[in-house]
Amino acid sequence: MSLRIAAVGDVHLGTDMGGRYRSHLTGIEEKADVLLLAGDLTRHGTLEEGEVVVEEFRDLPIPVIAVLGNHDHHSDKPAEIAAMMREAGIAVLHDDAVVLDVNGERLGVVGGKGFGGGFAGKCASEFGEPEIKAFVNHTKRIADRWRTALKELEADRRVVLSHYSPVNDTLAGEPPEIYPFLGSYLLAEAIDAEGADLILHGHAHMGTEKGVTPAGIRVRNVALPVLGRAYGVYCLNGDGRC
Amino acid sequence: MEAPQYVAARVQGALAEDERTNELGIRVDVRGEQLFLRGQVSCEERRELIADVASEAAPGLVVRNELTVVDVRTPEEEEKL
Ligand SMILES: [Fe+2]
Ligand SMILES: [Fe+2]
Repeated sequence: MSLRIAAVGDVHLGTDMGGRYRSHLTGIEEKADVLLLAGDLTRHGTLEEGEVVVEEFRDLPIPVIAVLGNHDHHSDKPAEIAAMMREAGIAVLHDDAVVLDVNGERLGVVGGKGFGGGFAGKCASEFGEPEIKAFVNHTKRIADRWRTALKELEADRRVVLSHYSPVNDTLAGEPPEIYPFLGSYLLAEAIDAEGADLILHGHAHMGTEKGVTPAGIRVRNVALPVLGRAYGVYCLNGDGRC
Repeated sequence: MEAPQYVAARVQGALAEDERTNELGIRVDVRGEQLFLRGQVSCEERRELIADVASEAAPGLVVRNELTVVDVRTPEEEEKL
């Protein structure tokens, strides 16, 4: 069976933007079986903006799974926003997994916000001041939780949903100096160790859609400005047909 | 006179931290009396708001607003993996 995954990140909905994105979701059930949201759903992470997100993505004819992004953390209300979304039937991952039955196949989605640190050979390490250690440690803890969630995942198809990028391929177009703030190879390392069919992320608005991990897992940057379309649709199936 | 790099950095900081914008992905370049803004934003109102915040952070410079509004298309194609 085919499994069509619609995905978008960085819709950055403000309180003045209610309904504007929703208009693009009409008929999504004809194009995809599930919609994944790769974080930065709001501009400032306020509860008012969280409400706009809920109204924009609730009661769609297909399941919706989301992670939050750095903007959604800006007002220190990520847990409250996630709770509002869950209340409306939107799954929100926080370094854990969800398994859905889609057309008789089990789709497992693992993920969370992710974090930065940079890419192999050009990255921060847990050394020196506590502030640097805390930064690197945050990413390490996240990568460890993803590794565990993937190890324990029982599903036919495995997708990782993140806000930050696990690879630098999909950052092409961004200034290289800010790569450490856009993602971390530790995320890719954890995913490569346990295996997945596809990785989706956002955050890098000026990046590139397509990339691949060192072990060959496809990575797609679905930030709205990168896609230039309301969402990307990725079809996973063994026989090359959809 | 303040070096153009510092002016550009201040504008970039203002765009990220000002509650009206909170835009992280805007490219800011200062050349002489001109301040160039490049990148993509979601709508015309934001495009203008960003130029306003930038010009407040760098008074006296001529703002060249080269930001483009992302045109969200309805997806037609799908990628088979
Ligand atoms: Fe974003
Ligand atoms: Fe982001």
